[in-house]
Amino acid sequence: MIPSAPQDDKGVRKQTPWTSPSARRKSLILIFLLVVFVLWAHMASGFRVFRSEVASEPGWQAFRAEHQIDYYGEDGQFVRAVQNGYNLVSYTYKYAPRFTRKTAGDAVNSCAGCHTPKDLAYGFVNSDRFNAKLGRRISFEEQVQRCYAGAMDGYVPTIYDPAVRDIRLLARAVAHHLQLTEGAIRSTN
Amino acid sequence: MPVGKIAKTVMFLLGAGGFYLLATHKHTQREETRQAAVSLTPACAEKLRRYALDAGEHYRSPYVVQQTGTSVTLAGYSNEDVRAVQRGCNIVDDTQGRRTTEVSRDRWNTTRFIRSKHLACTHCHQGVGDKQDANGNRLKGSLHLGTSWGMADMYDRFTGLLLSFELRQMQCYINSSNGYKPNIADDVIRDVTSYSRFLSAALNLKIGNHYDEQGVDEIAASATDKQGDDYVRGEALYNQKCISCHGVQAAGRELNGQLLAPAIAGPNAWNMQSRNYFYYVSTILPGFICRNMPLGEENTLTNQECRDMAFYISNLPRPAGDRQGPLAALKQQALMTGMPPLLRLMESRRSELPGAREAERSQ
Repeated sequence: MIPSAPQDDKGVRKQTPWTSPSARRKSLILIFLLVVFVLWAHMASGFRVFRSEVASEPGWQAFRAEHQIDYYGEDGQFVRAVQNGYNLVSYTYKYAPRFTRKTAGDAVNSCAGCHTPKDLAYGFVNSDRFNAKLGRRISFEEQVQRCYAGAMDGYVPTIYDPAVRDIRLLARAVAHHLQLTEGAIRSTN
Repeated sequence: MPVGKIAKTVMFLLGAGGFYLLATHKHTQREETRQAAVSLTPACAEKLRRYALDAGEHYRSPYVVQQTGTSVTLAGYSNEDVRAVQRGCNIVDDTQGRRTTEVSRDRWNTTRFIRSKHLACTHCHQGVGDKQDANGNRLKGSLHLGTSWGMADMYDRFTGLLLSFELRQMQCYINSSNGYKPNIADDVIRDVTSYSRFLSAALNLKIGNHYDEQGVDEIAASATDKQGDDYVRGEALYNQKCISCHGVQAAGRELNGQLLAPAIAGPNAWNMQSRNYFYYVSTILPGFICRNMPLGEENTLTNQECRDMAFYISNLPRPAGDRQGPLAALKQQALMTGMPPLLRLMESRRSELPGAREAERSQ
């Protein structure tokens, strides 16, 4: 049953926010602006956040060939995530600005400043182990989160964030290329 | 400041303080459980002994030596890691905590995530997630947990996600166990991941490589003689091959509180959103049946027989899943409640019909 419009004590119908013409006009304008924003964001803004494509940064094609990423297909969700992982690791200040205070001018402004892809792959296959320093088991994702907060002087992304997940996927792809087993020990040669 | 406001502030502070104390207490309890020695189930004790899981600087798997003649040295495990692997194995083997008196401590209270009273991970991931024949060969389509870890994070066609190992486990809890989602960082998830990763190390599996034992060896209709999936044939086959273990209407069998075989239909089975459900994915359950059933006689059924049986089993009532909505859930609940007594009544009437006893005798 639809409730009747409220009445004052004289029995005159009060105008609810929606029945008032000015309020209705305002709401319609807001809806219109929202639609325009969504259309602009998707079609005209050029913001990558609204697109599934990943920009090809310098070094990606060489990395892709060297690590045989095409094993997973020329294109696809996994390959794009690996590519995003590559961008995050190599250009952290540009691709994860929400989680780092580092800028292009800083000496060490990306994960690549400390870690090679091989480091990440070995880190991945040796993750989920007890860390004596911290006194508990640490997952690869948590290690990435700690890097954002510490070395990258920034903030902690959630465990589900692509800024964490795609670095794990990059490490996984490299681990496959190196044909690593769980717990593989890196040779010192 | 008015008294009411002061009272409200004090109440709020007391409430927040109470929650803080409770959280701290639970946290301490969890830490104590992580530090406690683990009592293994017989299957886990055997498996982990065979793979020589122990704390140490390095790990060398006897299985790899036995299979390849060479020894591979991997990073060793700390005592904490060993206990995590042991707990994970226990969860896979005894998800319901039937073999422990302390489910909350020994299995991280897994039953809070499960509505089914029967299902355990090992029912699908047989051999405690690592099914092998007598010679130690891993078996095709046996849903091996170690290989699943190696191939995790790939694009999943059912969810449209890059499905991590942890998210996949959550799906198992929600759909295959017809339950609820644990947190991604919950010990119940992390310990099973640790166990699966240990299996991967013990078998020297390479990250990202495909192995035959990974997942199910799916059977599409095109892999049959295209006679169509037949309920009547499926029912006859079920009565012939499966009923002795899984019972009438596939409701599972228990004896003196011991589970003999899990339900594969009815309230204790997987729900309609599980990949085992034929109408959701028609290739997985037939593949599972062909490669893993009947126990001890695997690979003896034809593709057509497996599809017929899967079709029949999926037509028996079972819980609705997330996506089916409340009406479907109500319908399924009514069917699960009403059908068993109705069918029993029909069976008893049928046996009373003239000539039924002669027909039985002639069979």
